[in-house]
Amino acid sequence: MNVTTATTDPALVEQRLRPLCRFLARYASAMLGCGATGERIVKNIRRMAAVADATVDIIILPAHIDVSVTDYQTGCTCQLSRPIDLMPVSYNLNTLLSKLSWKVAERKVSLEDACPMFDRIMRTKPLNKWKVMGVVTLANASFCRLFGGDPAAMLIVAAATCLGYTIKKLMLEGRNGLLFTVLVCAFISAVTASGGYLFSLTTTPDVALGTSVLYLIPGIPYINSVNDLITGHYLCAVGRFLHAAMITACIALGLTATLLIMNLGMVGL
Amino acid sequence: MSIIWDILSDGFFSALAAIGFSAVSNPPRVALKWCGLIAALGHVTRYCLMTFTPAGIVPASLAGALVVGVLAVVIGPRLKCPPETFSYPALLPMIPGIYAYRSMQGFVMALSAASEQEFSHYFYVCQSNFVTCVFVILCMVIGQMIPALVFKRLTYTATKG
Repeated sequence: MNVTTATTDPALVEQRLRPLCRFLARYASAMLGCGATGERIVKNIRRMAAVADATVDIIILPAHIDVSVTDYQTGCTCQLSRPIDLMPVSYNLNTLLSKLSWKVAERKVSLEDACPMFDRIMRTKPLNKWKVMGVVTLANASFCRLFGGDPAAMLIVAAATCLGYTIKKLMLEGRNGLLFTVLVCAFISAVTASGGYLFSLTTTPDVALGTSVLYLIPGIPYINSVNDLITGHYLCAVGRFLHAAMITACIALGLTATLLIMNLGMVGL
Repeated sequence: MSIIWDILSDGFFSALAAIGFSAVSNPPRVALKWCGLIAALGHVTRYCLMTFTPAGIVPASLAGALVVGVLAVVIGPRLKCPPETFSYPALLPMIPGIYAYRSMQGFVMALSAASEQEFSHYFYVCQSNFVTCVFVILCMVIGQMIPALVFKRLTYTATKG
């Protein structure tokens, strides 16, 4: 076990440890926000801290991150708390940030240069939102087909997804809460898909209705939470699981409201 | 001929679903087509096991997820992307959405049941679908994680260089 004695050297802390700690906290917070697993974040920041002859420990809380950097030689420590960045999952950012950590570890980029590179990476534009809407619509219609839906059911699901996804984008841009947005979108998509029942448009209306809300399911947070659980990041796992469970509960609520209002519960059971 | 057509169409639609859902998670552009390919192979594995062998949806999903996990660990380092970039979106077409929906439907019906027998039936529908749904998801995640844990070094050095 490495035992370090915490000493106070204000000059060392201010000049070296605090900027490093601030950078690593920003980095870890961004990685968490963009959907990286706890294990990958720990490995990436330790790799970068080692270049500065320091070791780093993090505590991942549901909404905050606590970063502590310790200098190998002097045992001086610097600690910082930072809220986790709220952003959509982005594997592009995850990839670029992981590459940055390797560049720093292999000394191709200095820690001083890593900060502006980090800022540039964070400004990377996401995919065009309308193109994404198009492929999500296609994806959910394909989902319907995989569950045994007929072509008419696929069309109904495509319409429900297109409408729901557009409303989701508009509501989130209007700074509405995520949970409320998901609830509204689940309700709207399910009501749209219930047209299959009401107008007898398809032979598989239950598949159309069940699939219409699946684009809202937080699949990646669920998978991340199990990954964190297995790799020992229990707090992070619980935080992610509860967040995903709240979103799922909102989807269920929207769907339940549709089933009750449209009186569709009896069909298919 | 019909069997081959069924397998091809299963692969095609799961690839489309994976590409669509991976687009939501903003992957690098180069990863999109690979997400589709990996998802297709994983889903076809599950489909074949469920269609041509007595395997149920739970073990078949585990096998499909293993295929997804192995392919992601192999392709990740070649494209300098973390394997999660491919494996997580590729798992999404295997999510048992219909089971989740039926368990919700059973729950709603149990709430408004008029008799004890009716309640028991709908509550059974809710429970059986829920349990299947939970186990399928667990097996999917564990299946794709096994290759990542076995080849840990490959997984965490994928973006190196």
